[in-house]
Amino acid sequence: MIQTIAYGLTIGGILYIISIGLSLTFGTMRIVNFAHGFVYTIGAYLLISALPIVRDNFFLGAVLAVAAVIPISYVIERFVIRKLYGVSIDYAIIATYAVVLIGVDLTKWIWGASPIPLSDPIGRDITLFSGVSLPMYRVLIIVLAVVIFGALTVFFKKTIVGKIVTASLEDKDAVKSLGINVDKYFSIVFVIGSCLAALGGVLYAPITSVHPYMGMMVLLISFAVVIVGGLGNIKGTFISAFVLGLVMAITGRYYGPAAETMVFVVMGIVLIFKPVEV
Amino acid sequence: MLSVKNIDVAYGHARVLHDISLELESGSMVFIAGRNGAGKTTFLKSIAGFMKPVTGTITFLGKDITGMAPEKVALLGIRYVFQDKRVFSHLTVRENLELAAYPVKEKTSKAIEKVMSIYPKMEKFLNLRAGSLSGGQRQILLIGRALVGDPKLLLIDEPTEGLAAGTINDILNVLAMMKGKVSMIIVEQNLSVVGMLGEKVYIMREGKIVQTCSAKEEITDKKQLEQYL
Repeated sequence: MIQTIAYGLTIGGILYIISIGLSLTFGTMRIVNFAHGFVYTIGAYLLISALPIVRDNFFLGAVLAVAAVIPISYVIERFVIRKLYGVSIDYAIIATYAVVLIGVDLTKWIWGASPIPLSDPIGRDITLFSGVSLPMYRVLIIVLAVVIFGALTVFFKKTIVGKIVTASLEDKDAVKSLGINVDKYFSIVFVIGSCLAALGGVLYAPITSVHPYMGMMVLLISFAVVIVGGLGNIKGTFISAFVLGLVMAITGRYYGPAAETMVFVVMGIVLIFKPVEV
Repeated sequence: MLSVKNIDVAYGHARVLHDISLELESGSMVFIAGRNGAGKTTFLKSIAGFMKPVTGTITFLGKDITGMAPEKVALLGIRYVFQDKRVFSHLTVRENLELAAYPVKEKTSKAIEKVMSIYPKMEKFLNLRAGSLSGGQRQILLIGRALVGDPKLLLIDEPTEGLAAGTINDILNVLAMMKGKVSMIIVEQNLSVVGMLGEKVYIMREGKIVQTCSAKEEITDKKQLEQYL
Protein backbone atom coordinates (compact mmCIF):
# COMPACT_ATOMS: atom_id res chain seq x y z
CA MET A 1 0.00 0.00 0.00
CA ILE A 2 2.84 2.39 0.88
CA GLN A 3 4.32 1.68 -2.53
CA THR A 4 0.96 2.60 -4.10
CA ILE A 5 0.86 5.85 -2.14
CA ALA A 6 4.40 6.65 -3.29
CA TYR A 7 3.35 6.05 -6.91
CA GLY A 8 0.27 8.16 -6.34
CA LEU A 9 2.46 11.03 -5.18
CA THR A 10 4.50 10.75 -8.38
CA ILE A 11 1.35 11.01 -10.48
CA GLY A 12 0.27 13.90 -8.27
CA GLY A 13 3.58 15.67 -8.86
CA ILE A 14 3.26 15.40 -12.63
CA LEU A 15 -0.41 16.38 -12.53
CA TYR A 16 0.51 19.48 -10.54
CA ILE A 17 3.23 20.54 -12.96
CA ILE A 18 0.86 20.13 -15.92
CA SER A 19 -2.24 21.56 -14.25
CA ILE A 20 -0.88 24.70 -12.65
CA GLY A 21 -0.35 26.37 -16.03
CA LEU A 22 -3.86 25.42 -17.06
CA SER A 23 -5.21 26.76 -13.78
CA LEU A 24 -3.45 30.10 -14.21
CA THR A 25 -4.54 30.62 -17.82
CA PHE A 26 -8.05 29.48 -16.98
CA GLY A 27 -8.09 31.74 -13.91
CA THR A 28 -6.65 34.86 -15.54
CA MET A 29 -7.88 34.69 -19.11
CA ARG A 30 -11.06 32.68 -18.52
CA ILE A 31 -10.05 30.58 -21.51
CA VAL A 32 -10.52 26.81 -21.65
CA ASN A 33 -7.20 26.05 -23.26
CA PHE A 34 -7.13 22.63 -24.90
CA ALA A 35 -3.87 23.67 -26.62
CA HIS A 36 -2.23 22.92 -23.25
CA GLY A 37 -2.42 19.22 -24.19
CA PHE A 38 -0.54 19.89 -27.42
CA VAL A 39 2.23 21.75 -25.58
CA TYR A 40 2.51 18.82 -23.15
CA THR A 41 2.90 16.40 -26.07
CA ILE A 42 5.29 18.56 -28.03
CA GLY A 43 7.49 18.89 -24.92
CA ALA A 44 7.97 15.11 -24.85
CA TYR A 45 8.68 14.94 -28.61
CA LEU A 46 11.14 17.81 -28.44
CA LEU A 47 12.96 15.89 -25.72
CA ILE A 48 13.25 12.91 -28.07
CA SER A 49 14.71 15.15 -30.76
CA ALA A 50 17.03 16.89 -28.29
CA LEU A 51 18.50 13.71 -26.76
CA PRO A 52 20.83 12.84 -29.69
CA ILE A 53 22.08 16.46 -29.72
CA VAL A 54 23.02 16.38 -26.03
CA ARG A 55 24.44 12.84 -26.15
CA ASP A 56 21.45 11.34 -24.37
CA ASN A 57 21.83 13.62 -21.34
CA PHE A 58 18.19 13.58 -20.21
CA PHE A 59 18.37 16.65 -18.00
CA LEU A 60 20.06 18.80 -20.63
CA GLY A 61 17.57 17.51 -23.18
CA ALA A 62 14.71 18.43 -20.85
CA VAL A 63 16.00 22.00 -20.53
CA LEU A 64 16.32 22.30 -24.33
CA ALA A 65 12.83 20.88 -24.89
CA VAL A 66 11.22 23.23 -22.39
CA ALA A 67 13.14 26.21 -23.80
CA ALA A 68 12.03 25.32 -27.33
CA VAL A 69 8.41 25.46 -26.19
CA ILE A 70 8.72 29.19 -25.34
CA PRO A 71 8.46 30.44 -28.96
CA ILE A 72 5.82 27.81 -29.78
CA SER A 73 3.62 28.85 -26.86
CA TYR A 74 4.17 32.53 -27.69
CA VAL A 75 2.89 31.92 -31.23
CA ILE A 76 -0.18 30.07 -29.87
CA GLU A 77 -0.86 32.91 -27.42
CA ARG A 78 -0.30 35.68 -29.94
CA PHE A 79 -2.29 34.24 -32.82
CA VAL A 80 -4.96 32.09 -31.13
CA ILE A 81 -5.44 32.83 -27.42
CA ARG A 82 -5.22 36.63 -27.67
CA LYS A 83 -8.07 36.63 -30.20
CA LEU A 84 -10.23 34.83 -27.67
CA TYR A 85 -10.08 37.30 -24.76
CA GLY A 86 -13.57 38.29 -23.73
CA VAL A 87 -15.37 36.15 -26.30
CA SER A 88 -17.68 33.24 -25.54
CA ILE A 89 -16.05 30.22 -23.90
CA ASP A 90 -17.36 28.05 -26.79
CA TYR A 91 -15.06 29.79 -29.27
CA ALA A 92 -12.08 29.16 -27.00
CA ILE A 93 -12.91 25.45 -26.77
CA ILE A 94 -13.27 25.11 -30.55
CA ALA A 95 -10.18 27.19 -31.40
CA THR A 96 -7.83 25.58 -28.87
CA TYR A 97 -9.15 22.10 -29.70
CA ALA A 98 -8.28 22.85 -33.32
CA VAL A 99 -4.72 23.58 -32.17
CA VAL A 100 -4.60 20.13 -30.52
CA LEU A 101 -5.84 18.42 -33.68
CA ILE A 102 -3.35 20.30 -35.86
CA GLY A 103 -0.67 19.47 -33.28
CA VAL A 104 -1.49 15.75 -33.31
CA ASP A 105 -1.21 15.59 -37.11
CA LEU A 106 1.94 17.67 -37.03
CA THR A 107 3.62 15.32 -34.53
CA LYS A 108 2.55 12.31 -36.61
CA TRP A 109 4.03 13.95 -39.70
CA ILE A 110 7.34 14.82 -38.03
CA TRP A 111 7.88 11.93 -35.59
CA GLY A 112 5.46 9.24 -36.82
CA ALA A 113 2.41 7.73 -35.16
CA SER A 114 4.12 4.83 -33.36
CA PRO A 115 4.71 5.18 -29.61
CA ILE A 116 8.33 5.91 -28.71
CA PRO A 117 9.56 4.40 -25.44
CA LEU A 118 12.08 6.17 -23.21
CA SER A 119 14.02 4.52 -20.42
CA ASP A 120 14.27 5.77 -16.83
CA PRO A 121 17.02 8.42 -17.04
CA ILE A 122 18.39 7.59 -13.57
CA GLY A 123 17.75 3.85 -13.44
CA ARG A 124 18.28 3.49 -9.72
CA ASP A 125 15.93 2.90 -6.80
CA ILE A 126 15.92 4.68 -3.50
CA THR A 127 14.85 2.97 -0.27
CA LEU A 128 12.41 5.21 1.53
CA PHE A 129 11.99 2.96 4.55
CA SER A 130 12.34 -0.74 5.21
CA GLY A 131 10.85 -2.74 2.41
CA VAL A 132 9.68 0.26 0.42
CA SER A 133 11.76 1.46 -2.45
CA LEU A 134 10.91 3.78 -5.27
CA PRO A 135 12.70 4.66 -8.51
CA MET A 136 14.86 7.71 -7.76
CA TYR A 137 13.42 9.38 -10.87
CA ARG A 138 9.94 9.32 -9.35
CA VAL A 139 11.19 10.79 -6.09
CA LEU A 140 12.85 13.53 -8.15
CA ILE A 141 9.48 14.32 -9.78
CA ILE A 142 7.79 14.68 -6.37
CA VAL A 143 10.62 16.94 -5.14
CA LEU A 144 10.46 18.99 -8.34
CA ALA A 145 6.70 19.49 -7.96
CA VAL A 146 7.21 20.77 -4.41
CA VAL A 147 10.02 23.09 -5.57
CA ILE A 148 7.83 24.46 -8.40
CA PHE A 149 4.99 24.99 -5.94
CA GLY A 150 7.35 26.93 -3.65
CA ALA A 151 8.81 28.93 -6.53
CA LEU A 152 5.38 29.87 -7.89
CA THR A 153 4.15 30.83 -4.42
CA VAL A 154 7.15 33.16 -4.00
CA PHE A 155 6.71 34.45 -7.57
CA PHE A 156 3.07 35.39 -7.03
CA LYS A 157 3.55 36.80 -3.54
CA LYS A 158 6.81 38.69 -3.93
CA THR A 159 7.26 39.82 -7.54
CA ILE A 160 5.42 42.69 -9.17
CA VAL A 161 4.44 40.47 -12.13
CA GLY A 162 3.00 37.93 -9.68
CA LYS A 163 1.07 40.64 -7.84
CA ILE A 164 -0.32 42.01 -11.11
CA VAL A 165 -1.50 38.55 -12.10
CA THR A 166 -2.99 37.95 -8.62
CA ALA A 167 -4.86 41.26 -8.85
CA SER A 168 -5.99 40.47 -12.41
CA LEU A 169 -7.40 37.16 -11.26
CA GLU A 170 -9.69 39.17 -9.01
CA ASP A 171 -10.43 42.26 -11.12
CA LYS A 172 -8.87 42.66 -14.55
CA ASP A 173 -10.57 45.98 -15.32
CA ALA A 174 -9.38 47.55 -12.07
CA VAL A 175 -5.79 46.60 -12.98
CA LYS A 176 -6.25 48.17 -16.42
CA SER A 177 -7.59 51.34 -14.78
CA LEU A 178 -4.19 51.77 -13.09
CA GLY A 179 -2.47 51.93 -16.48
CA ILE A 180 -1.26 48.33 -16.60
CA ASN A 181 -1.41 46.40 -19.87
CA VAL A 182 -2.90 43.22 -18.45
CA ASP A 183 -2.63 41.26 -21.71
CA LYS A 184 1.16 41.55 -21.64
CA TYR A 185 1.26 39.87 -18.23
CA PHE A 186 -1.24 37.24 -19.35
CA SER A 187 1.19 36.37 -22.15
CA ILE A 188 3.92 35.85 -19.55
CA VAL A 189 1.61 33.64 -17.49
CA PHE A 190 0.65 31.69 -20.61
CA VAL A 191 4.28 31.06 -21.56
CA ILE A 192 5.19 30.02 -17.98
CA GLY A 193 2.16 27.69 -17.90
CA SER A 194 3.08 26.21 -21.27
CA CYS A 195 6.68 25.61 -20.19
CA LEU A 196 5.39 23.76 -17.15
CA ALA A 197 3.07 21.68 -19.34
CA ALA A 198 6.03 20.82 -21.57
CA LEU A 199 8.05 19.94 -18.46
CA GLY A 200 5.20 17.65 -17.43
CA GLY A 201 5.36 15.93 -20.83
CA VAL A 202 9.12 15.61 -20.57
CA LEU A 203 8.95 14.14 -17.07
CA TYR A 204 6.15 11.72 -17.90
CA ALA A 205 7.81 10.48 -21.09
CA PRO A 206 10.08 7.90 -19.35
CA ILE A 207 7.16 6.63 -17.24
CA THR A 208 4.84 6.01 -20.16
CA SER A 209 5.62 6.14 -23.87
CA VAL A 210 5.58 9.16 -26.15
CA HIS A 211 2.73 9.18 -28.68
CA PRO A 212 0.75 11.85 -30.52
CA TYR A 213 -2.38 11.43 -28.37
CA MET A 214 -0.65 11.49 -24.97
CA GLY A 215 -1.90 15.03 -24.30
CA MET A 216 -5.58 14.23 -24.75
CA MET A 217 -6.27 12.12 -21.63
CA VAL A 218 -3.91 13.99 -19.37
CA LEU A 219 -5.63 17.22 -20.39
CA LEU A 220 -9.01 16.03 -19.18
CA ILE A 221 -7.52 14.88 -15.87
CA SER A 222 -5.76 18.26 -15.58
CA PHE A 223 -9.08 20.04 -16.00
CA ALA A 224 -10.43 17.91 -13.15
CA VAL A 225 -7.43 18.95 -11.01
CA VAL A 226 -8.06 22.62 -11.81
CA ILE A 227 -11.79 22.41 -11.08
CA VAL A 228 -11.22 20.62 -7.77
CA GLY A 229 -8.35 22.94 -6.77
CA GLY A 230 -9.97 26.20 -7.84
CA LEU A 231 -9.23 28.42 -10.85
CA GLY A 232 -5.92 30.20 -10.48
CA ASN A 233 -5.46 28.79 -6.98
CA ILE A 234 -1.83 27.68 -6.67
CA LYS A 235 -2.21 26.02 -3.28
CA GLY A 236 -5.57 24.47 -4.15
CA THR A 237 -4.17 23.04 -7.40
CA PHE A 238 -1.18 21.61 -5.51
CA ILE A 239 -3.38 19.82 -2.97
CA SER A 240 -5.90 18.74 -5.60
CA ALA A 241 -3.17 17.28 -7.89
CA PHE A 242 -1.69 15.14 -5.12
CA VAL A 243 -5.11 14.02 -3.81
CA LEU A 244 -6.26 13.04 -7.30
CA GLY A 245 -2.89 11.39 -7.99
CA LEU A 246 -3.44 9.26 -4.89
CA VAL A 247 -7.03 8.55 -5.94
CA MET A 248 -5.74 7.29 -9.29
CA ALA A 249 -3.01 5.15 -7.75
CA ILE A 250 -5.17 3.62 -5.02
CA THR A 251 -8.10 2.94 -7.37
CA GLY A 252 -5.68 1.47 -9.91
CA ARG A 253 -4.31 -0.91 -7.27
CA TYR A 254 -7.73 -2.49 -6.78
CA TYR A 255 -9.31 -2.03 -10.22
CA GLY A 256 -7.05 -0.59 -12.91
CA PRO A 257 -9.68 0.43 -15.52
CA ALA A 258 -11.45 2.68 -12.97
CA ALA A 259 -8.34 4.70 -12.04
CA GLU A 260 -9.05 7.65 -14.33
CA THR A 261 -12.82 7.43 -13.97
CA MET A 262 -12.49 7.86 -10.21
CA VAL A 263 -10.84 11.26 -10.76
CA PHE A 264 -14.01 12.50 -12.45
CA VAL A 265 -16.18 10.97 -9.74
CA VAL A 266 -14.25 13.04 -7.18
CA MET A 267 -14.61 16.11 -9.42
CA GLY A 268 -18.36 15.51 -9.63
CA ILE A 269 -18.64 15.29 -5.84
CA VAL A 270 -16.63 18.51 -5.45
CA LEU A 271 -18.83 20.28 -8.01
CA ILE A 272 -21.96 19.31 -6.08
CA PHE A 273 -20.68 21.08 -2.98
CA LYS A 274 -18.53 23.80 -4.58
CA PRO A 275 -19.78 24.91 -8.02
CA VAL A 276 -17.19 26.56 -10.26
CA GLU A 277 -17.64 30.26 -10.96
CA VAL A 278 -16.47 31.16 -14.48
CA MET B 1 -9.20 69.96 -20.34
CA LEU B 2 -11.81 67.32 -21.23
CA SER B 3 -14.21 67.69 -24.08
CA VAL B 4 -16.91 65.15 -24.76
CA LYS B 5 -18.78 65.87 -27.97
CA ASN B 6 -22.02 64.21 -29.02
CA ILE B 7 -21.17 60.67 -27.98
CA ASP B 8 -23.53 57.74 -28.41
CA VAL B 9 -22.69 54.48 -26.63
CA ALA B 10 -24.34 51.09 -27.12
CA TYR B 11 -24.31 47.62 -25.57
CA GLY B 12 -24.72 45.53 -28.70
CA HIS B 13 -27.76 46.97 -30.47
CA ALA B 14 -29.10 48.70 -27.35
CA ARG B 15 -28.07 52.36 -27.38
CA VAL B 16 -27.61 53.54 -23.77
CA LEU B 17 -26.09 57.01 -24.20
CA HIS B 18 -27.56 59.51 -26.65
CA ASP B 19 -25.74 62.57 -27.88
CA ILE B 20 -23.90 63.36 -24.65
CA SER B 21 -21.66 66.42 -24.53
CA LEU B 22 -19.68 67.85 -21.63
CA GLU B 23 -16.83 70.32 -21.20
CA LEU B 24 -14.62 70.19 -18.12
CA GLU B 25 -12.25 72.91 -16.98
CA SER B 26 -8.96 72.09 -15.27
CA GLY B 27 -9.31 71.76 -11.48
CA SER B 28 -13.10 71.66 -11.46
CA MET B 29 -15.33 69.22 -9.62
CA VAL B 30 -18.57 68.29 -11.34
CA PHE B 31 -21.21 65.78 -10.36
CA ILE B 32 -23.44 63.53 -12.40
CA ALA B 33 -26.72 62.53 -10.82
CA GLY B 34 -29.63 60.47 -12.05
CA ARG B 35 -31.71 57.40 -11.42
CA ASN B 36 -30.36 53.86 -11.68
CA GLY B 37 -29.98 52.92 -15.33
CA ALA B 38 -29.71 56.54 -16.48
CA GLY B 39 -26.29 55.82 -18.05
CA LYS B 40 -24.04 57.55 -15.47
CA THR B 41 -21.57 54.66 -15.06
CA THR B 42 -21.55 53.99 -18.82
CA PHE B 43 -20.65 57.62 -19.38
CA LEU B 44 -17.66 57.44 -17.00
CA LYS B 45 -16.60 54.12 -18.54
CA SER B 46 -16.69 55.70 -22.00
CA ILE B 47 -14.26 58.40 -20.89
CA ALA B 48 -12.05 55.83 -19.11
CA GLY B 49 -11.83 53.62 -22.22
CA PHE B 50 -13.94 50.71 -21.00
CA MET B 51 -16.72 51.48 -23.49
CA LYS B 52 -16.17 52.61 -27.06
CA PRO B 53 -18.54 55.32 -28.30
CA VAL B 54 -20.43 54.49 -31.48
CA THR B 55 -20.33 58.13 -32.55
CA GLY B 56 -18.86 61.36 -31.21
CA THR B 57 -15.43 62.26 -29.86
CA ILE B 58 -13.69 62.53 -26.51
CA THR B 59 -10.60 64.72 -26.31
CA PHE B 60 -8.36 65.14 -23.28
CA LEU B 61 -5.74 67.90 -23.18
CA GLY B 62 -6.14 68.24 -26.94
CA LYS B 63 -5.61 64.53 -27.63
CA ASP B 64 -8.35 62.38 -29.13
CA ILE B 65 -8.93 59.50 -26.70
CA THR B 66 -12.14 58.15 -28.26
CA GLY B 67 -12.08 54.35 -27.97
CA MET B 68 -8.52 54.33 -26.59
CA ALA B 69 -7.61 51.28 -24.42
CA PRO B 70 -8.26 51.91 -20.68
CA GLU B 71 -4.63 51.35 -19.66
CA LYS B 72 -3.51 54.00 -22.16
CA VAL B 73 -6.19 56.42 -20.97
CA ALA B 74 -4.99 55.87 -17.39
CA LEU B 75 -1.39 56.63 -18.36
CA LEU B 76 -2.52 59.92 -19.90
CA GLY B 77 -3.69 60.95 -16.42
CA ILE B 78 -7.34 59.87 -16.24
CA ARG B 79 -8.11 57.47 -13.39
CA TYR B 80 -11.37 55.67 -13.00
CA VAL B 81 -12.46 54.69 -9.48
CA PHE B 82 -15.00 51.88 -9.87
CA GLN B 83 -18.14 51.65 -7.79
CA ASP B 84 -18.63 48.71 -5.35
CA LYS B 85 -15.31 49.43 -3.52
CA ARG B 86 -13.31 47.10 -5.77
CA VAL B 87 -9.94 46.83 -4.02
CA PHE B 88 -7.60 43.91 -4.69
CA SER B 89 -8.75 42.05 -1.62
CA HIS B 90 -6.07 39.31 -1.67
CA LEU B 91 -3.27 41.88 -1.66
CA THR B 92 -2.32 44.07 1.29
CA VAL B 93 -3.05 47.80 1.33
CA ARG B 94 0.66 48.41 0.69
CA GLU B 95 0.61 46.03 -2.30
CA ASN B 96 -2.50 47.75 -3.69
CA LEU B 97 -0.53 50.99 -3.68
CA GLU B 98 2.58 49.29 -5.04
CA LEU B 99 0.55 48.13 -8.03
CA ALA B 100 -0.73 51.65 -8.63
CA ALA B 101 2.81 53.06 -8.40
CA TYR B 102 4.37 50.53 -10.79
CA PRO B 103 3.01 51.71 -14.19
CA VAL B 104 3.70 55.39 -13.40
CA LYS B 105 7.20 54.58 -12.11
CA GLU B 106 6.56 56.12 -8.72
CA LYS B 107 8.09 54.79 -5.52
CA THR B 108 5.71 52.82 -3.29
CA SER B 109 6.77 54.95 -0.33
CA LYS B 110 5.65 58.08 -2.18
CA ALA B 111 2.35 56.44 -3.07
CA ILE B 112 1.82 55.57 0.59
CA GLU B 113 2.61 59.16 1.57
CA LYS B 114 -0.11 60.37 -0.79
CA VAL B 115 -2.76 58.21 0.81
CA MET B 116 -1.54 59.19 4.29
CA SER B 117 -1.86 62.84 3.34
CA ILE B 118 -5.59 62.41 2.72
CA TYR B 119 -6.24 59.76 5.38
CA PRO B 120 -3.48 59.38 8.02
CA LYS B 121 -5.30 56.48 9.73
CA MET B 122 -4.42 54.26 6.75
CA GLU B 123 -0.92 53.76 8.18
CA LYS B 124 -2.05 51.09 10.62
CA PHE B 125 -3.76 49.12 7.85
CA LEU B 126 -0.81 49.05 5.42
CA ASN B 127 0.07 45.43 6.05
CA LEU B 128 -3.48 44.17 6.28
CA ARG B 129 -5.26 42.52 3.39
CA ALA B 130 -7.33 45.16 1.62
CA GLY B 131 -10.28 42.76 1.77
CA SER B 132 -10.37 43.16 5.55
CA LEU B 133 -10.96 46.95 5.41
CA SER B 134 -14.36 48.49 6.05
CA GLY B 135 -16.38 49.90 3.13
CA GLY B 136 -15.29 53.48 3.87
CA GLN B 137 -11.63 52.56 4.23
CA ARG B 138 -11.78 50.64 0.96
CA GLN B 139 -13.26 53.67 -0.77
CA ILE B 140 -10.51 55.92 0.60
CA LEU B 141 -7.90 53.37 -0.49
CA LEU B 142 -9.39 53.38 -3.98
CA ILE B 143 -9.32 57.17 -4.18
CA GLY B 144 -5.78 57.20 -2.75
CA ARG B 145 -4.73 54.50 -5.21
CA ALA B 146 -6.10 56.59 -8.08
CA LEU B 147 -4.09 59.61 -6.90
CA VAL B 148 -0.78 57.79 -7.34
CA GLY B 149 1.18 59.23 -10.25
CA ASP B 150 -0.48 62.64 -9.98
CA PRO B 151 -3.42 62.16 -12.36
CA LYS B 152 -5.07 65.14 -13.94
CA LEU B 153 -8.64 63.83 -13.89
CA LEU B 154 -10.44 61.46 -11.53
CA LEU B 155 -13.66 59.71 -12.52
CA ILE B 156 -15.26 58.53 -9.29
CA ASP B 157 -18.30 56.27 -9.43
CA GLU B 158 -20.70 56.42 -6.45
CA PRO B 159 -18.11 57.02 -3.71
CA THR B 160 -20.61 57.15 -0.83
CA GLU B 161 -22.91 54.36 -1.97
CA GLY B 162 -23.81 52.00 0.88
CA LEU B 163 -21.76 53.85 3.49
CA ALA B 164 -22.85 54.94 6.99
CA ALA B 165 -23.26 58.66 7.71
CA GLY B 166 -20.02 58.90 9.71
CA THR B 167 -18.03 57.25 6.97
CA ILE B 168 -19.59 59.52 4.34
CA ASN B 169 -18.08 62.43 6.28
CA ASP B 170 -14.62 60.86 5.92
CA ILE B 171 -15.14 60.59 2.16
CA LEU B 172 -16.45 64.16 2.03
CA ASN B 173 -13.32 65.39 3.82
CA VAL B 174 -11.10 63.50 1.39
CA LEU B 175 -12.93 64.90 -1.65
CA ALA B 176 -12.89 68.41 -0.17
CA MET B 177 -9.13 68.13 0.38
CA MET B 178 -8.61 67.19 -3.26
CA LYS B 179 -10.88 69.89 -4.63
CA GLY B 180 -9.01 72.29 -6.90
CA LYS B 181 -5.89 70.10 -6.96
CA VAL B 182 -7.23 67.56 -9.43
CA SER B 183 -10.23 67.67 -11.77
CA MET B 184 -13.04 65.32 -10.87
CA ILE B 185 -16.22 63.95 -12.39
CA ILE B 186 -18.18 62.20 -9.67
CA VAL B 187 -21.30 60.10 -10.07
CA GLU B 188 -23.25 60.64 -6.87
CA GLN B 189 -26.80 60.01 -5.68
CA ASN B 190 -26.34 61.63 -2.27
CA LEU B 191 -27.62 65.15 -2.86
CA SER B 192 -26.11 66.44 0.40
CA VAL B 193 -22.65 65.55 -0.90
CA VAL B 194 -23.48 67.10 -4.27
CA GLY B 195 -24.73 70.30 -2.58
CA MET B 196 -21.65 70.63 -0.41
CA LEU B 197 -18.95 70.09 -3.02
CA GLY B 198 -20.39 70.45 -6.49
CA GLU B 199 -19.59 73.31 -8.84
CA LYS B 200 -21.80 71.93 -11.57
CA VAL B 201 -24.30 69.10 -11.65
CA TYR B 202 -25.36 67.20 -14.74
CA ILE B 203 -28.64 65.34 -14.41
CA MET B 204 -28.95 62.23 -16.57
CA ARG B 205 -32.11 60.41 -17.54
CA GLU B 206 -32.49 57.56 -20.05
CA GLY B 207 -29.02 58.06 -21.45
CA LYS B 208 -29.26 61.80 -21.95
CA ILE B 209 -28.16 64.88 -20.02
CA VAL B 210 -31.53 66.49 -19.31
CA GLN B 211 -30.44 69.33 -17.04
CA THR B 212 -27.28 71.18 -16.09
CA CYS B 213 -27.23 73.08 -12.80
CA SER B 214 -24.34 75.44 -12.23
CA ALA B 215 -25.75 78.19 -10.00
CA LYS B 216 -25.00 77.63 -6.29
CA GLU B 217 -28.64 77.98 -5.29
CA GLU B 218 -29.63 75.33 -7.87
CA ILE B 219 -27.04 72.85 -6.61
CA THR B 220 -27.82 73.28 -2.94
CA ASP B 221 -31.58 73.12 -3.45
CA LYS B 222 -32.24 69.43 -2.83
CA LYS B 223 -35.91 69.67 -3.69
CA GLN B 224 -35.15 71.19 -7.07
CA LEU B 225 -32.58 68.50 -7.88
CA GLU B 226 -34.88 65.74 -6.68
CA GLN B 227 -37.50 66.67 -9.24
CA TYR B 228 -35.12 65.60 -11.99
CA LEU B 229 -34.28 62.29 -10.37
